[in-house]
Amino acid sequence: MSLIHLSFYSAFTLSSLGLAFHRTHLISALLCLESIILSIYIGLSLWPVQNQATSFTLLPVLILAFSACEAGTGLAILVASTRTHGSDHLHNLNLLQC
Amino acid sequence: ILMLSLALGTMITITSNHWVTAWAGLEINTLAIIPLISKSHHPRAIEAATKYFLTQATASALMLFSSMTNAWSSGQWDITQLTNPPSCLLLTAAIAIKLGLTPFHFWFPEVLQGSSLTTALLLSTAMKFPPTTILLLTSHSLNPTLLSTMAIMSIALGGWMGLNQTQTRKILAFSSISHLGWMTIIITYNPKLTLLTFYLYSLMTTSIFLSMNSTNTLKLSTLMTSWTKAPMLNTTLMLTLLSLAGLPPLTGFLPKWLIIQELTKQEMTTTATIISMLSLLGLFFYLRLTYCSTITLPPNSSNKMKQWSIKKPVNTLTPTL
Repeated sequence: MSLIHLSFYSAFTLSSLGLAFHRTHLISALLCLESIILSIYIGLSLWPVQNQATSFTLLPVLILAFSACEAGTGLAILVASTRTHGSDHLHNLNLLQC
Repeated sequence: ILMLSLALGTMITITSNHWVTAWAGLEINTLAIIPLISKSHHPRAIEAATKYFLTQATASALMLFSSMTNAWSSGQWDITQLTNPPSCLLLTAAIAIKLGLTPFHFWFPEVLQGSSLTTALLLSTAMKFPPTTILLLTSHSLNPTLLSTMAIMSIALGGWMGLNQTQTRKILAFSSISHLGWMTIIITYNPKLTLLTFYLYSLMTTSIFLSMNSTNTLKLSTLMTSWTKAPMLNTTLMLTLLSLAGLPPLTGFLPKWLIIQELTKQEMTTTATIISMLSLLGLFFYLRLTYCSTITLPPNSSNKMKQWSIKKPVNTLTPTL
């Protein structure tokens, strides 16, 4: 079982690194966010299989519902930023100088 | 509808004892406030919405991941029983990203700058409430060293970076960061003080944001001519700003005093000295705001009510609390 643990831990860390180091496009950040949620979903759906506790099998579906809403919002923001900024390059997001 | 879903998300997170319901409430809050930020279709607002969405979404995912590792290692999903040390660390980092503690504070001034004043008010008071309740619920299993270092850095950075700002929303963002530092430094020792600090801070920030909203001051230069529009509001704004700074006869001093007292009881006197020294930096820009708003006169002054007051200021009583 620890191989499966390792697989989704590494999937999570790889996706979060991809999210942290995205360089040119906003879409890659959204993709990495989705893969993070996906690795959490896979890990969560293996949990009732191991523990034989069938009352927890509804959890991954709930998480999937919320993450789908989140992804939809992310895409809407992507569209809005493409409308106002012209592209989804991250170099263009510098209007709010600090 | 959006306000209702904000309230719903906050309620869900506050009344949760399972990690997934807490995460769901936080997601509902994030989803509900994104259209509020980007309502004006200004490029800055959309950019603020993008930054806010990305940071909050990563923080939520991190929180879910930490709760999942905790569930794998301990077999239960209760919020108050967080036993796995790496998942405690991840949870602290996730909530720090959500709140805007240093070193994860970089999104906060820009997001406040890009949103309208009432949305900024919501962002800095109402959106901080669910993550602080989660911190309160898990306060006995968090990592004190990490929290203390993040809190001290937050107070330092909030004071330092607020020194060169001319936009009032950014100044309030940095004051929010330093107040969050004050709140988190005491959370492992006495969580009730954190709650008290949060309530008083949100009350004072609400009054400042609403008074700035009714005079529509977004920059320091606009602040200087605000005394012509509503003189009573201006004086109360000054008192509230000084209260945020934490000067003794006003209410804002109370949480600082109690926190320093609690820290000295816990033998952390150097920490208490350091944070009180660092809040002097914040005092500088609060004083500059009060100086600009009430004590100086603009070059061509006209002592009459030039402009209409759009909203009735509701806060003439709250600074005198």
